[in-house]
Amino acid sequence: MTEIQSSAGVPVITAPPQEPHLPPKEWLKKNLFSNVGNTFITIVTSVVILSLANGLLGFAFGSERQWNAVAVNSRLYMSFAYPEAQYNRIWFSFATLLVLAGLSMAIWRGGTRVPFARLAKSSFSFGVGLAIMVLLAPLSTSGTIKWGIAAGVLLLAGFIFKRSANENEDEGDGRSLSSLTLLVGTFASIISTLWFIPYGRHSFVGDRTPQVMSEPGTVAFSTQLPWTIMLFVLVGAYYLGVVLRDRLPERRTRGVLMGLWLLSPFFLIYLVLRDPSFTMNHVLYTDIPLVLGFLVVGGLLLYALTKPSLGEIGRIAAVLILLVGFGSFLTPMRMIVRIFLIALGFFSLAAPTFSGDKSTRRRYSSIWSGFIIIAGWLITAVNTPSTVEVPGDLFFGGATLTLIVAFFTVVLSYPLGVLLALARTSNMPIFRLLATTFIEFIRGVPLITILIFFSVMLPLFLPEGMHLPEITSVTIGYALFSAAYVAENIRGGLQSVTRGQHEAAEAVGMSTSQKTVFIILPQALRMSIPPMVGHTIGTFKETSLLYIIGLFDLLYVGRSVIPNQTAFIGSTRENLLFVSVLYWVISYSMSKASQRIEKRVGLGER
Amino acid sequence: MTAPVEQPSSTNLAVAQRVPLWRDVVVVKWFTQVSLLAIVLAALWLFVGQAGNNLRAKDITIGFDFIDRPVDVQLSEGIDTLPYSGGRALWVGMVNTLRVAAGGIVVATILGIFVALSRLSNNWMLRKVGAMWVEGLRNVPLLVQIIFYSSILAALPRTTFLDPTAAAGPLNQNQGPIHNWLHISNKGLSIPRVFIADGFYQWAIVILLGAIAAYFVRKKRLKLHDETGRETSPILWAAGTLAIFGFVGLFIHPVFSFVGPIMGGIASLIDSLTIPMIQALISVIAVLLALRWIRKFRADRRSGSGHLNLSDDDWFRMIFAGLASVVVIVVIYKWTGLSSWLLNSGQDLFRLAETKFNVDGAARPFDAMRPDVLKPGKFANYGLNGLTMTRGFAALFFGVTFYHSAHVGEILRGGILSVPKGQIEAASAIGLNRAQSLRRVILPQAFRISLPPLGNQYLSLTKNTSLAIAVGYSDIVQVGQTIYNQTGKALPVMSVWMLFYLACSLTISVVVNFFNMRLELVER
Repeated sequence: MTEIQSSAGVPVITAPPQEPHLPPKEWLKKNLFSNVGNTFITIVTSVVILSLANGLLGFAFGSERQWNAVAVNSRLYMSFAYPEAQYNRIWFSFATLLVLAGLSMAIWRGGTRVPFARLAKSSFSFGVGLAIMVLLAPLSTSGTIKWGIAAGVLLLAGFIFKRSANENEDEGDGRSLSSLTLLVGTFASIISTLWFIPYGRHSFVGDRTPQVMSEPGTVAFSTQLPWTIMLFVLVGAYYLGVVLRDRLPERRTRGVLMGLWLLSPFFLIYLVLRDPSFTMNHVLYTDIPLVLGFLVVGGLLLYALTKPSLGEIGRIAAVLILLVGFGSFLTPMRMIVRIFLIALGFFSLAAPTFSGDKSTRRRYSSIWSGFIIIAGWLITAVNTPSTVEVPGDLFFGGATLTLIVAFFTVVLSYPLGVLLALARTSNMPIFRLLATTFIEFIRGVPLITILIFFSVMLPLFLPEGMHLPEITSVTIGYALFSAAYVAENIRGGLQSVTRGQHEAAEAVGMSTSQKTVFIILPQALRMSIPPMVGHTIGTFKETSLLYIIGLFDLLYVGRSVIPNQTAFIGSTRENLLFVSVLYWVISYSMSKASQRIEKRVGLGER
Repeated sequence: MTAPVEQPSSTNLAVAQRVPLWRDVVVVKWFTQVSLLAIVLAALWLFVGQAGNNLRAKDITIGFDFIDRPVDVQLSEGIDTLPYSGGRALWVGMVNTLRVAAGGIVVATILGIFVALSRLSNNWMLRKVGAMWVEGLRNVPLLVQIIFYSSILAALPRTTFLDPTAAAGPLNQNQGPIHNWLHISNKGLSIPRVFIADGFYQWAIVILLGAIAAYFVRKKRLKLHDETGRETSPILWAAGTLAIFGFVGLFIHPVFSFVGPIMGGIASLIDSLTIPMIQALISVIAVLLALRWIRKFRADRRSGSGHLNLSDDDWFRMIFAGLASVVVIVVIYKWTGLSSWLLNSGQDLFRLAETKFNVDGAARPFDAMRPDVLKPGKFANYGLNGLTMTRGFAALFFGVTFYHSAHVGEILRGGILSVPKGQIEAASAIGLNRAQSLRRVILPQAFRISLPPLGNQYLSLTKNTSLAIAVGYSDIVQVGQTIYNQTGKALPVMSVWMLFYLACSLTISVVVNFFNMRLELVER
C-alpha cells in the first residue's frame, strides 16, 4: 500500500494519534455514563433499540414467515425466466466476471491486512449480538440451539484471535490476516453449508407450471456444485493474477484488464446469454469484408491524417468524410456503413490532436482498428436474432437485468456527461446554451417522468418499421438522465483545475483540443472520481424504478412475481426485506470499498 | 508535440497577411457551433415530424383540451376525489404532491438535525444509532423503502366500522389504540381534526393584541439586557406573553363581539359613498403621495449645508413620480367600473367581517372532530371527519422523510465538522456553555456551509415524491398517468408534469438562493 502511495506521488498522510486503549470499565464510563444526561440517553436508547430489535426479530422469525419463498425462488431473483436447460450460460458468465474480479484483485493488490485484535473485536461483537438475538427472537428449540451454537463459535473464535494476537505483542503490530482470505473463507463456509443444509425445499414440484426447479427438489442440491466451482475459479484467478503481476508490465496489464471489464458484459450478453444464431453466409460475405475494408482503409487514412506537417488538408478531408457520412442518410444504404462513415469522420476530425511520431500515429490507427472490430462485431450480434426461448421479449430479468441496466447506464452516460460538461464550460455560446438547457431541464424533472416518457413516447418518435425494445428505450432514458448529473460532477472537476495549468498548456503551444484531452481532462476526471462513485451507487439504486415501468427487475420479482405464486401468497414483506437487504449489502460494500480506496490512493485531493 | 492548427488569432489582429477562412479560429468555431445547432434542430424536426405522422396514423390529437373536458377519474385522496375535468384532476394531484413535499422537507430537516447531533454526540450508543440510521437508510433504494412501508401498513388490522346507531357501545378492539381518538388500520391512520370554529375571529383579535404586547415586552427585555447585561431571554418572554393572551383569549373572546357593529358601520359608511367621491379621494391620495415622495426625495438630495444639487436623472425621477399620479387619476376617471368595484368589494369585505364577529357568545374559537372510521370501499375521506393519513400518503411520506433525513443529517454533520475548532474554543473562552455555543456559534456557521447541498436535497425530495405512483397515492404523476391512459394524450400530460416539476425546482432554488445570499459572509 505504501508502494502505491509513493508511486502516485501522494504524501503519506500521518494518521491521527490513536485514542488510548481504555480498560472496559473506564471505556464504559467515558462513553456511556460520563454524567447524568449521558446515562439517561444511554438507557433510553438501549431500551428503544432493544424493543425495536425485539419487534424486528419477532417479525423475521415469526412462525408465519415464509422465508422459503425467497430460498425456492432464488433462480427468479437471479435471472427471472432464463430457460433452465441453458442455465450453464449464466454460470459461465458469472465465472467470467469472477475470473476478472480475481485477476483485478491480484493486479491492483486489493485487500488489506486485518490485525487479529480487530478480528477478535468484531467476532466478539457479532457473537454478543447473535447471543442477544437468540434471547430475544421467538425461536423454536432447535433454532435456539443452532443459533446459540453459532454465537458460541463466534465468541470462541474471538477468544482464539485475541489470544493469538496477544502472544505476538512484541512484534510490532501483532499478527494479521489478509482481508481477501477472510472474504474467501466466509464465502467458502457459506457455500459449504449448501452441501449439508437443504435450503429451498419445495413440496410442490411437478404440480406447478412453470416448474421452478426439477427433481430433486432443493435449491441447495442443484446449486452446490456450481457454487463450489465458482469459489475455485475465483481463487484460481487470484493466483493466476499474482503470477501475471510479477511477470508482466503493470501498466499494460491494468489497461488490458480495464478493457476486458468494459467489454466482457457486451460479450456475455450478446454471445453467451443471447445465444445468437449467425447466418454464416451473411457474416462471411457482408460483415467481415465490410469491417476489414473499413479497418484497412480507415487505418491507413488515419495514419496519413495524423502526420504533423499535414496542415489544414486533414481537417478539410475530415469534414468531407463527415459530410459523406451524414449525406448517406439521403440514399438507401446499410446502417452499418453509415455508422462507420460517421465514426471515421469523427476520428479523422480528432486526428490532429493525436499527431506525433510514428509510434503515436500507429497507436491511433490501432485504436481505430480496435473500435471498428468491436463495433462491427456488436452491430452484427445485435442484429442477429436470439435463440433463447422465454415468454416475453426479454430473456433476462431479476438481478441480471438490474446489473445490466446499471452497467449500460454508466457506460453510456459517462462519455456523454464528459461531452456535456466540456460544452457547458466552453467559451462557445451555442454549445454552452444547448448543454446548459439540457442539463438543467433533466435535473429539474424526476427520473420517473423521463422513464415513462421513454417507455411510452419514444416509439412514437421513431420512423416506421424501426422497433426499439422497451428495455433499450428505458436504458437510453436512464443514460440521458444520468449524463446530466455526471456532467455536473465533471464540471466541478473541470473548475478545480487551476488557471496555471491552462496557461502552461497554452505556453507549450498546445491546441485547445490537445490542452483539453491531455492536460485538463485527466486532472478533472481524477478530481471527480469520488462524486462519480457516489453517483454510480445512486444509479444502481435507481434501477429499482424499472419496477414502475413494469420490467422484471429485482424489485418486481420480489414485489409482484413471487407473492403471486400460489404457494407463497402473502409473502410480500419477506421478499421485500430480502430485496432491501440485497440492495443494502451491495450499495454499502461499494461505498465502503470506494471510501477505503479513495483514502489509500488520495483521490479527490490535489 | 507540434500543433499545426489553430494559431491564436487574437495576437495578430493587425498583421497584414490574411488568415485563410478555414484556418480562422473565429470562423471555425462559429461554423462548428452553427452546424451542430443545425444538426440538433434537424434531428428534432425529423423526430417531431415523425411523431406527428405516427400520432395522426393512430388518430390521436395533440392538444390541451383534456384540461376542460370532463374525465372519469377517481382519486384516492385530495381536495377533490371526483374532479369534474382533467385540469381539476391535475390540480388535485399537484396539491397532493406539494403536501408531501412541504411536509417532507420540514420533517426531514428536523430529523436530519437530530441525526447529525446524535452522530456527533459523545455518547457511544447514540453515535452508533445515528450511524445505523444513516447507513441503513442511505443504501436501500427509496422505492424499495416506500413499497416496504406500504406493505407493512397493509398488514395492519382491517378497518372495522362503527355502527352509527349504537351511540356509546362497548369499545371495539380493532378500532385502534385509543378509541375514537386514534385509528390505525390497513387503510391509514386517523386522528381528530382541529378546525376553526365561529369564535375564531374574535379570538384572533386577542392574539393580535397579544402580538403587540409581546413586541413591547421583547423590546423592554432587550433594553433590560443592554442595561444590566443579564440574560433576559426576550424571545421566551415574548412567546410567553403571546401564550398567555392566547390562553386567556379562549375564555374572554366574546368581549370582542363589539368589533362586529364597528365593521358594519364601516360597511354602511362605504355604502353611502358615491363613485365621484371615491374618484376624488383616490386622486387626492395619489397627488399627496407623489408630493410627499418628491419632498422626501429632495430632502435626501440636500447636502449637509442645505444646498440642493439635482442631476438630470433626479429631475427625471421627480417628473416620473408626478406623471405616475397623473396616470392614476386618468385611469380612475376613465374606467368608472374600477371605482364601483372597489366600493362593492370593500363593502362586501366589511359586511363579511361583521357576520364573522357577530356570533353567539358561546361559540368556541376552535373545535375538534373525532375520526370517523373509514367506510369500506369508500376512498379516504380527507377533510370530512378527522385527519386521515392514508396508507399511500404515510408510506410515501415516511419513505422520503426517512431517506432524506439520512442525507440531510450527513450534510449537517459535515457542516458542523467544518466549523473551525477555534470558533468552539473561542465560544467556551467567553463563557458560553455547550448548548449556547451550539446554538449561537456552531449551528449558524454550519447552516451557512451546508445550505447549498441542503437545497439540492430539498429539490430531490420534491422530485422523489413522484414515486407515489408505486403505492397508489394520487400525486401529479399518478393522476396524469390515469388521464393519458384514458384520453391517450401522453405528450400534453407529460409536458404538464415537466412544467410543474420545473416550477417547483425553480421555486426551491430561488428560496434557497435567497437565504444563501442572506447568510453569506459579507466580506469587506
